[in-house]
Amino acid sequence: MQTFNIKIGGEAGQGLVSIGNILLRAITQEGWHLFAHQDYESRIRGGHNFFQIRLANKPVASWENEIDVLVALDETTIILGQGELRSSGVVIYDPGVLGEKAKELGNQPNYLGLPFGQIAEELGQPKIVANAAAAGAIWALLSDDLITLHQTLDVMFGSKGKKVVEGNQKVATAGFDKVREVMGSRSKPAKPERQGERLLLKGNDALPLGALSAGLKFMSAYPMTPATGVTEFIAEYGREVSAVMEQAEDEISAINMAIGASYTGVRAMTATSGGGFALMTEALSLAGSAEIPIVVINAMRPGPSTGLPTRTEQGDLSFAVAMSFGDFPRAVFAPGDPEEAFYLMGEAFNVAEEYQMPVVVLSDQHLADSYTTVPPFDLGRVKIKRGKVVSGAEAGPDYLRYAYTKDGISPRLYPGFGDGVVVSAGDEHDEKGHLIEDGETRQKMMEKRMTKQGLVEKRAMEPVLCGSEEPDATLIGFGSTKGAIAEAVRALNEGGCKVQGVHLPQVFPLPESLDAILQRPGRKFIVEGNYSGQLEALLASRFAVKPTGSIRRYDGRPINAQYILDRLRGGVCDG
Amino acid sequence: MAKNTAEFTVADQTAWCPGCGNFGIINALSQALEGLGLKKNQVLYVSGIGQAGKTPHYIHGNVLNTLHGRTLPTATGAKLANGDLHVIAVGGDGDGYAEGGNHFLHALRKNINITYLVHDNQVFGLTKGQASPRSDQGMVTGTTPQGVSLEAFNPLATAITLNGGFVARSYAGDRDHLARTIQAAIQHEGFALIDILQPCVTFNKINTYQFYRSRIYDLDQEEGYDRRNREAAWARSFEWGGRIPIGIFYQVDRPTLADTYGDLLKTPLVKQEYDKSVVAQLVDRFRIG
Repeated sequence: MQTFNIKIGGEAGQGLVSIGNILLRAITQEGWHLFAHQDYESRIRGGHNFFQIRLANKPVASWENEIDVLVALDETTIILGQGELRSSGVVIYDPGVLGEKAKELGNQPNYLGLPFGQIAEELGQPKIVANAAAAGAIWALLSDDLITLHQTLDVMFGSKGKKVVEGNQKVATAGFDKVREVMGSRSKPAKPERQGERLLLKGNDALPLGALSAGLKFMSAYPMTPATGVTEFIAEYGREVSAVMEQAEDEISAINMAIGASYTGVRAMTATSGGGFALMTEALSLAGSAEIPIVVINAMRPGPSTGLPTRTEQGDLSFAVAMSFGDFPRAVFAPGDPEEAFYLMGEAFNVAEEYQMPVVVLSDQHLADSYTTVPPFDLGRVKIKRGKVVSGAEAGPDYLRYAYTKDGISPRLYPGFGDGVVVSAGDEHDEKGHLIEDGETRQKMMEKRMTKQGLVEKRAMEPVLCGSEEPDATLIGFGSTKGAIAEAVRALNEGGCKVQGVHLPQVFPLPESLDAILQRPGRKFIVEGNYSGQLEALLASRFAVKPTGSIRRYDGRPINAQYILDRLRGGVCDG
Repeated sequence: MAKNTAEFTVADQTAWCPGCGNFGIINALSQALEGLGLKKNQVLYVSGIGQAGKTPHYIHGNVLNTLHGRTLPTATGAKLANGDLHVIAVGGDGDGYAEGGNHFLHALRKNINITYLVHDNQVFGLTKGQASPRSDQGMVTGTTPQGVSLEAFNPLATAITLNGGFVARSYAGDRDHLARTIQAAIQHEGFALIDILQPCVTFNKINTYQFYRSRIYDLDQEEGYDRRNREAAWARSFEWGGRIPIGIFYQVDRPTLADTYGDLLKTPLVKQEYDKSVVAQLVDRFRIG
């Protein structure tokens, strides 16, 4: 596989996301596979941020440390990024930004100074079009012509009128020509043999798109990084498919609104991060007791407290599984990439509705903000199963919301859909839904609800395996480490080891089949993005597991294959 | 009223103290709903926690019994998802003005088309008599042995300040007045608050039936009072002491939360079918190549 890495760095507000977005589209259109991740600070202007794109001739699932093109909109990008540059790498920088520290670096042969803003201005364009100059300059290292880049600018700026499109194209051409003038026509990264239509999505697109495809009708949320993208997506696109996004005054209100909507019979969800999730826990307990389906996306960021608000971590796993006070059934999912996230939202809503319980989907900043190219989604694979729902006629006038049944699942009637009334309660209740005090009913209701937990365990999603089928060693992870583990496994196997990667898209309840994986001979390493080893503790609470080693990261940065390989240091197999 | 006598029957057995103001409220509620000719399956009560929160369990209708303080967001979600339901949120003054204070402010702003009944007994009853935001200054309770030091929260002034659509006060001891006010609140298009003065016979020895009987007067009967006049309403909302006004203080028509969604909620969300072809078009927008 051939990969090529572009890193665009600068201050917040300088337009690096705009440059990144232009390139993502053009690279996808041109046929490459890509993985792109973002690193940003908790501020609106200034600081140091980057947007990193890895493109390849085969599907890629994670990022690499080495950089082929470093695009510097500020000095810090050069100072921090020069050590990551491959020997063949190129630095394209805006000379205006170089201070004392980086001035000498600029004299090196692989450093190319391009005054992006000046290029735009000389062509009579506003300064903001400088982004197109940078995109054009990078494009010169990817392609011999501008057709695709120009098409992309047309698609992206078409709504702003012909003049804006042409202005951007002109400036992009100038950036492109300048690089070719200095660097000549270098060899270009290899393209995939087969090229077809793909979707370009980040986790924060795939999760809400998956929710809408699964029939989401109501979302309420309070903005919180890195979950806000989900909320804004539903606000922007929801109405097209008759879905509401109502912004709440706080996270407590957000989840309670969604529960109110769900009670009436629509699919409802909310999205937040750790601190907001903490505020929602009381209502999760309500949903558990009142048996009201609800889906909550928790896009994790490093805690405790406000932590590192714009960075990534997997530190809410134990919290999400524990979820709230009291015993009630629940499920927790942890998709590993945008494609899995899309389909998994369907499963999350199905579980929530079929078992009438709260479901948490764990995302994190790395999944939320990272783009990949994926094959077009197959909506035929999205099966909407709303569980036991009865019509007004079936329910009759004496409908019992919490009727005792063998499987613990009482048929739902939507209020107003029959003569019977729907009485739901968080207070302990009888079959009708009215409040009780007696111990006997309490015990029966608790057992009814908890019966559902066993059913959810039986249908728990199977681990996603990669690599060797008869491994000497196993790497186990959940959520956004999926791609990093898969790439580490591939590298190890190519090096002669027999290693298997185990990704858990569902972390609670865990699938029974995991037992055999954990009990088989061979070394086992648990890979996770937190300090205390929350996945390890979760596995140990359910299975007898003695890991050989733990690979953890808690500096707020995402795990990639190299991070795993560096920590294994050859200790994974003897071969 | 006779034609619907069975529709909103009130239960014989409750967990309330004998003489509780809640009896007056539930009877007035029943009378109001009967009077409007509603069917019990069209009405959804969303209740908080406290003695007031038990009300829906003693009268016919759909019920969503939620958490302490969370009635308003839950009711908002239910109403947005199914606008055909007549949603009535029910809670106490501790529930609504303490635990749920932030939700109260924003429900007023959002102008969600629901009715909010606050059983205002100026004390935490179910936890046995602690001070609430509505307790009068000086009131001695378990948590305020030296007497309440804070000024009482003024829900009506707050609601009028936020341009709440329908702001009223009524009294548990005047069933006809309360029933009439509830009917007007349900018929109002927008958020309708009724703060209901409710004697707590066990824990509030100050704001008793006697206390209110000698002080209350009805704004609705006052000649020349214009409930569309916000300044006048605001001034009245501070009247408390020798004379205590009840009635509709303020009423204004402004777009409800559902109206802000244009045509999207004209058919309730719960009755809108999933259309795979529309979803497919949306997914296609992310297609490149």
